[in-house]
Amino acid sequence: MYFRPSLSQTMVTYIARRLIQGVVVLLAVSFICFIIFRYSGDPVVTLAGRYATLQEREMVRKAFGLDRPFYIQYTRFIANAAQGNFGKSFVSRVPAFDLIMERFPATVELATSAVFIAFTMGVGLGVLVSLKPYALRNRLIMAGSLFNISIPTFLTGILLIMVFAVYLGVLPPFGRGETVNIGFWRTGFLTWSGITHLILPAFTLGMYQLAVLLRLTRAGMREVLTEEYIKTAWSKGLPPRKVIFKHALRNVLIPVVTMTGLQFGELIAFSIVTETIFQWPGMGNLLLISIYEADQPVIVTYIMLAALIILSLNIIVDVLYAYLNPKIRYD
Amino acid sequence: MKKFFLLSLGVILLIVLPGFTGQSFGASSIVVAVDTPPRTMNPHGSDADANLSIMANFFEGLLQRKAPDGKLLPALAERFEHPDLLTWKLYLRKGVKFHNGNPFTGEDVKFSFERLCNPDVSEFINTGKSIASIEIIDDYTVVIKTKEPVQWFANNLHQLYMMDKESTEARDPGEVEVKPIGTGAYKLVEWVKGSYVKMEANEDYWEGVPPIKNVELRPITESSTRFAALVSGKAELVSGVPVELYEKVLQNPKLDVVTRPARRSIFLALGNKPGSPWEDIRVRKAIYMAINEDEIIEKIMRGHAAPAAQVPDPPTIGYNSEIKRLAYNPEMARKLLKEAGHEKGFEITLSGPNDRYVQDENIAEAVAKYLAKVGIKAKLDVKPKSIFFPQVARGELEFYLIGWFDGTFDMGRTYFKLAHTRDTVKGFGGLNGTNYSDPSIDTLLEPTGSIVDREKRKKVLQDLNKMAMVDKIVWIPLHYQQDIYAIQKGKGIKFQPRPDRWIVFKEISK
Repeated sequence: MYFRPSLSQTMVTYIARRLIQGVVVLLAVSFICFIIFRYSGDPVVTLAGRYATLQEREMVRKAFGLDRPFYIQYTRFIANAAQGNFGKSFVSRVPAFDLIMERFPATVELATSAVFIAFTMGVGLGVLVSLKPYALRNRLIMAGSLFNISIPTFLTGILLIMVFAVYLGVLPPFGRGETVNIGFWRTGFLTWSGITHLILPAFTLGMYQLAVLLRLTRAGMREVLTEEYIKTAWSKGLPPRKVIFKHALRNVLIPVVTMTGLQFGELIAFSIVTETIFQWPGMGNLLLISIYEADQPVIVTYIMLAALIILSLNIIVDVLYAYLNPKIRYD
Repeated sequence: MKKFFLLSLGVILLIVLPGFTGQSFGASSIVVAVDTPPRTMNPHGSDADANLSIMANFFEGLLQRKAPDGKLLPALAERFEHPDLLTWKLYLRKGVKFHNGNPFTGEDVKFSFERLCNPDVSEFINTGKSIASIEIIDDYTVVIKTKEPVQWFANNLHQLYMMDKESTEARDPGEVEVKPIGTGAYKLVEWVKGSYVKMEANEDYWEGVPPIKNVELRPITESSTRFAALVSGKAELVSGVPVELYEKVLQNPKLDVVTRPARRSIFLALGNKPGSPWEDIRVRKAIYMAINEDEIIEKIMRGHAAPAAQVPDPPTIGYNSEIKRLAYNPEMARKLLKEAGHEKGFEITLSGPNDRYVQDENIAEAVAKYLAKVGIKAKLDVKPKSIFFPQVARGELEFYLIGWFDGTFDMGRTYFKLAHTRDTVKGFGGLNGTNYSDPSIDTLLEPTGSIVDREKRKKVLQDLNKMAMVDKIVWIPLHYQQDIYAIQKGKGIKFQPRPDRWIVFKEISK
């Protein structure tokens, strides 16, 4: 039995410190966002309309509070954000937060499917390849994985569309297909059309990770398969299924699972490109359009939310590690 | 292991195979893919043509324009009178109902025009502020007075949409931004942002029920995906076919291509800052003559553009057919530069957007190369439109590429906006991005607003246009763009493109 520390004094201070650090990081992120947007276009020109006079533009600037000094705009934003109000989109004139949350399910479903594909196929092929590393088929798989890592997402997406949607005509080239609403969550998992629409973008998004997991699994398996206890297992006459999956793969999976988790955030970030190619109605798609339109409230809210999610995940992982592993000291 | 491999393969095939069932469309429905997603369902919330085009299906103005030539026709107003320079008397159509059943009356007209002034919901502030008073004579007669003479007032009425006073005031402002209630030929069924806008025919439409009952509008921003949607049969009508893909669409036996000269002209705005080399008309001519526009059209636009000699297009009031392009002549350009004392050339910064017009960045690059051949060093400064246009609005640039067309078909408004000396008090020159200033243009332009006689005014604007393009070279015109659409063949889709690039579904039949 391991010694498990209770929620001791040191642990509480550790968590408190991590939370304070998190808040500081969030403030820094928001501050940098604000500085960048000050120099990246003036929303008033669009907001006032093409034919607005210089005076009318100033009127609009006042109406949106954009004439105030930088620090006042910034503190007002922080004060509002603390209450969950991220301001209204300049383009669609509805709350920026709602706009992003409307797109949230689509991105989460895409990223989850991509992780699922990457994990099952990556680990599956990784195990397969590790058993006979020099077989021709396995060498081809390895070469293919290198190809996956080096090809940009953009190209993968377009190639997949051309092959499966245009030439073969078996999969739809864009969009989410039919969706079902469960409360606020609009899901594509429950309809056939939703699932067929998911395949190409999920593959495109998960392709890189698939290759990484495949190589990781293969390397781990090849190392473990030479261990003494595996030889013992074989010599005991255990069926191959048991030796490979129960004894070998289990030990390999720890770094693989960690890697999968770490890359989940990256998948959401990479989804901007994938979502644009497949016209996937997710957050990345919204972000790109908002950047084109200089819709600052939406961009800032998106970045703040992304930072918040990644920070929270990190803090949870760190705290859990500290709690579960007595070797990690939290001072 | 083999099992595992086969299993994963099997799962994939299982998912893939049923995709074979092709999609079929009903006779009275259509799927249209466009390049720009809708921004809002508030008809005054965006003055971008892409949004106005979508709004034209849910809402209507007092007047309307129709394909193929964009002629101004009655809509919610049956006719109007223009008794004096400031007054517009409008006779409204009787018996028109909004989608919620409310009758359309003078109250709604007054409410809609007043709403234009509110910066929280409107991008038509300039129009709203130009109105002095709105008087409701009776339910179906309204008199609008403007502060100054606005010659293009009626020309603008097709894009100033009428909203229902009662429901717009009663509903939550956020809901007004997403759920349109108009008098238009279509009602909104569902708008899923980033995915589609579904609409159904308005059975009570005053002009008669439109031929196509259900419309699905699909915004697809990536052009190769839009092309894939068309080829795979997922979209039946596509706008904004990129020039690079034109040949491919043309070769495809399943597709038809429809092109139309666009109203938008692409041109170069050149400042005339006192003391700069380009203040000299000889230098301006030299820059004009150094650019090989025919080659730009052939190589960069791949033939999908027509050379322009002026900024307005033929149907615009003020278009002057006597204006001709200066022919490409680099020898002459060099000679003119020498005469002007710039034999060794000079440096100039050429700015422009890189995400706004067809091939904008490539055109700017080509212009810089042509100028280099006659010794002018043009420093290229292209950037996203979100950064470029504010610079134009602030008048910070010296030389830039831009495109323009006037939704009111009146060049007077364009000249006040783009060529008049920047004047904060009078509100002129708001998009005069080079701070161009020429008193002789200003003095000729200013009185045009109060010339009553249409023919006389047209003549004055034509003369002004000629002076600006020939004697002053205020701008260096390049070309008119071409709009390219693609349609699925054999489905009997009848579609006529409009000069303003709007897609109004009641004009399409199948």
